[in-house]
Amino acid sequence: MKTDELLINMGPVHPSTHGVLRFKLTMDGEIIRNCEIVMGYLHRGTEKLGEMKTYMQFVPYTDRLDYISAFPNNYAYVKAVEELAGIEVPLRAEYIRVLTLELNRIVNHLVMIGSLLLDLGASTMIMYGFRERENALALFDMLCGARMTFNYIKPGGVREDMPEGFIPKLNEFINDMDMRIDDYEQLVSGNEIFMGRMKNIGVMSAQDAINYGMTGPSLRGHGVNYDIRKMEPYSVYPDLDFKACMRRECDSFARYMVRIDEMRESLHILKQVVDQMPQGKAETHAKYGIAPMTGAPTAVSTYFPRIFTPPPGEVYSRIEAPKGELGFYIVSDGTIKPYRIKIRSPSFCNLTAIPKMVEGLMIPDLIAAFGTIDVVLGDVDR
Amino acid sequence: MWTGDIMFANAYELIVFILNFIGIYEPINNIFKTLGIEYVLRIIIVFIEIAVLLVFALLTIMFLTWMERKVVAMVQARYGPMVTGPRGLLQPVMDGIKLIGKEDIIPAKADRWVFTLAPFLVFIPALLIFIPLPFGESLIISDLKVGLLYLIAISALSPIAILLAGWSSNNKYSLMGAMRAVAQDISYTIPLALSAIAIVLFTGSLSTVDIVTAQNGTWFGFIPKWFIFLQPLGFILFLIASIAEMGRIPFDFQESEQELVAGFFTEYSGIKFAMFFLAEYAHLFSVSAIVVTLFLGGWSFPILPYLPAVLVPLVSFVVFLVKTYAVIFFAMWLRHTVPRVRIDQLLNLGWKIMIPLALLNLLVTGFLLTVGVFK
Amino acid sequence: MNPAEEIKQLFPDSVVSVGQQIKKPLAIIKKEGLLEVAQKVKEMGFDNLSVITGIDYGDRFEVVYNFFSYVKKQNLVLKVVLGHENPEVASLASIWKVADWLERETYDLVGIKFRGHPNLKRILLPEGWMGHPLRKDYDMNVDQFVTIGEDGEDIVSTDGSNLLRR
Repeated sequence: MKTDELLINMGPVHPSTHGVLRFKLTMDGEIIRNCEIVMGYLHRGTEKLGEMKTYMQFVPYTDRLDYISAFPNNYAYVKAVEELAGIEVPLRAEYIRVLTLELNRIVNHLVMIGSLLLDLGASTMIMYGFRERENALALFDMLCGARMTFNYIKPGGVREDMPEGFIPKLNEFINDMDMRIDDYEQLVSGNEIFMGRMKNIGVMSAQDAINYGMTGPSLRGHGVNYDIRKMEPYSVYPDLDFKACMRRECDSFARYMVRIDEMRESLHILKQVVDQMPQGKAETHAKYGIAPMTGAPTAVSTYFPRIFTPPPGEVYSRIEAPKGELGFYIVSDGTIKPYRIKIRSPSFCNLTAIPKMVEGLMIPDLIAAFGTIDVVLGDVDR
Repeated sequence: MWTGDIMFANAYELIVFILNFIGIYEPINNIFKTLGIEYVLRIIIVFIEIAVLLVFALLTIMFLTWMERKVVAMVQARYGPMVTGPRGLLQPVMDGIKLIGKEDIIPAKADRWVFTLAPFLVFIPALLIFIPLPFGESLIISDLKVGLLYLIAISALSPIAILLAGWSSNNKYSLMGAMRAVAQDISYTIPLALSAIAIVLFTGSLSTVDIVTAQNGTWFGFIPKWFIFLQPLGFILFLIASIAEMGRIPFDFQESEQELVAGFFTEYSGIKFAMFFLAEYAHLFSVSAIVVTLFLGGWSFPILPYLPAVLVPLVSFVVFLVKTYAVIFFAMWLRHTVPRVRIDQLLNLGWKIMIPLALLNLLVTGFLLTVGVFK
Repeated sequence: MNPAEEIKQLFPDSVVSVGQQIKKPLAIIKKEGLLEVAQKVKEMGFDNLSVITGIDYGDRFEVVYNFFSYVKKQNLVLKVVLGHENPEVASLASIWKVADWLERETYDLVGIKFRGHPNLKRILLPEGWMGHPLRKDYDMNVDQFVTIGEDGEDIVSTDGSNLLRR
């Protein structure tokens, strides 16, 4: 007597797929035999839009890619444009950029941990995580006027300098967060039920993980110490002292613990940035309403025009976004609009590993493993 | 002063005593006797009892829904319902009105009669459990000689109703959810019954009133003689098994929205959906009441012997409520602190760990009683 | 030594030219020799395939592969030039598993076919979509309407007739 295989659809609208993503699961009883992922429900044609906007006009579109962590998206694109056009950025602007990047890393990891635990059934952690996120979003609001889609990092610097009173509030946030991370560890990481749901689930060897294109904290949970901030340092990271967090156990629990460690490292980096922040100007003059100025960059500011033409060429540049390796491949043909923009998004490439990872698991394990890969649909579908 | 003897066997006799005290029992009884239908008076008194119990039960369920939301909010560092009524106390009323106003959808290919019947079949056993529970000294609907067996048997009726609900919905997910719920229910009924049986070894009787009166009194003058001190392992097993029976987090997978939409009541809407929820809260109250009766002394408390005998029913009722709400608060607190256990880990826990422990508990208790450690 | 120069030495007839792409060594490969070169690149330690980009210049297609080696911390860029009619190139999905979806996306949006790919279907756009959007000759004035059918698969049409359900 043999059993038939059942086709179950975890449809586009589902509480735990973090967006509109569809899993077609072929199941044998409770065990998943095959998993096929159907995506594209959030495809907005960002790459095609990029060909019709100037370089400066495309920055808001990058905000909407991975909407939880919008600063790294901005920065990856702007870094590529700056490499292509050979633009220099004042040091203070670089420090402000790193500050926003690390703050956004903390926010992203809070959301990831909260939604992972919400999927597992403990709804308290997401409330605590979002309470901290509110403080961080208030900081962002103070800095650039927006809470989620910032449009702040522009080629040549940042849009505006930090307001007064920002640094004291930031210090408050850092001190607060230090205590809270210990709270979270106590509440969650030592919990027997949580460990039972996460240890030895979603195991994948390190070679497989690299081959499937996994990058970022998910890969560092497999014992591969690949952090772009250490391997190909950019911005002011060479001057900052931090370590890339890594765990060796290759399972979901390791991937989760890497993110807790990373939050602590980000706080450490933030303290150093606040200490080392140089004086000087940080703005680029690309604000709306100000006449574009052309001129050579001076020692403390870059007066940067809104419409510029980089030389023809191609560039691929990558940064360490909170989810993995975010890269932009830009082709320029010497006009004011790019010829082709290709976005290498971390969620898309991390997602390729899911069908291999969940063979032989049950649906609750699929949800736990999927939660630790940290996928946001804006990034997958672009 | 209260001597420690039970004043009335059950609430029926209490009501008859009160009517006698007022002086209207004899005249009414005589009227009915002359008409030849004196049993009608008995039926009327029973209906009064049941009406009081139902009002109490339904008010408690409504209050529990409010309490759940407030406890959640306290754990999650926010306010709960605050707008409807003072501190949100009218929230259950508003929820009820909203649910009554919803469209009553029956899926096209579902079995109509069974579909409509299933919520009631889930709700009624949860209310039936209230019958042998001693709410206070002499405040019990019916002191069944086999009270404990009755309680366990009624709890075992719920899997049938759940299967009916899941099957009649004509939905793959509902059926899978119903089968998992049944698997969970039956695998946790066994440790539940086994840990409760160890209590019977102490009292020698299945009646709930006897179990409570066996816990009267104190050791050394201040430690109450509750069975939790004599049977700590049994208490833990019973508590875990009852949380699993009720289907609350951490044993909540049958309702985990993140996995199978909503389990066996996916297709229900409106008042039928409300009945499943009310049944769950009724079950929560009644199971907590059973825990209190068996292990935490029911309505007994060391200060009761020092009170005049008239006050004892009232004070014992208050004591019972306080203890029950303490257990309910613990269950709610647990729900919002820990994540969910996976189904195979859950069944593992039930069959491979809890049943052997319950049997061990029974064995050790029996041995110690025979040897004479407990008089 | 520059990895691109190494490849030129090992496969002199497959490599068209060697250069630089803003500090990354670049090698332009003929499309027939791509699979061999890719095997060799994997053996040289380039285990991270970062991105596959398909670009439509008016008269030709180009496919660009960016590699990175964790061990040696080096970059490498390979480029293949294809003709404008029926662009087709060998698939690298057997060597790097991430190429599976990256090539599906390139096929979906740019229209380049990959020989030997296990499952070459559209990935971001629905199955019945007409045209490849990132080509320069894609007509953006044609509206295409998508809806979801009874079995969960997407139905595409150009006149909206599939949106009326009976």
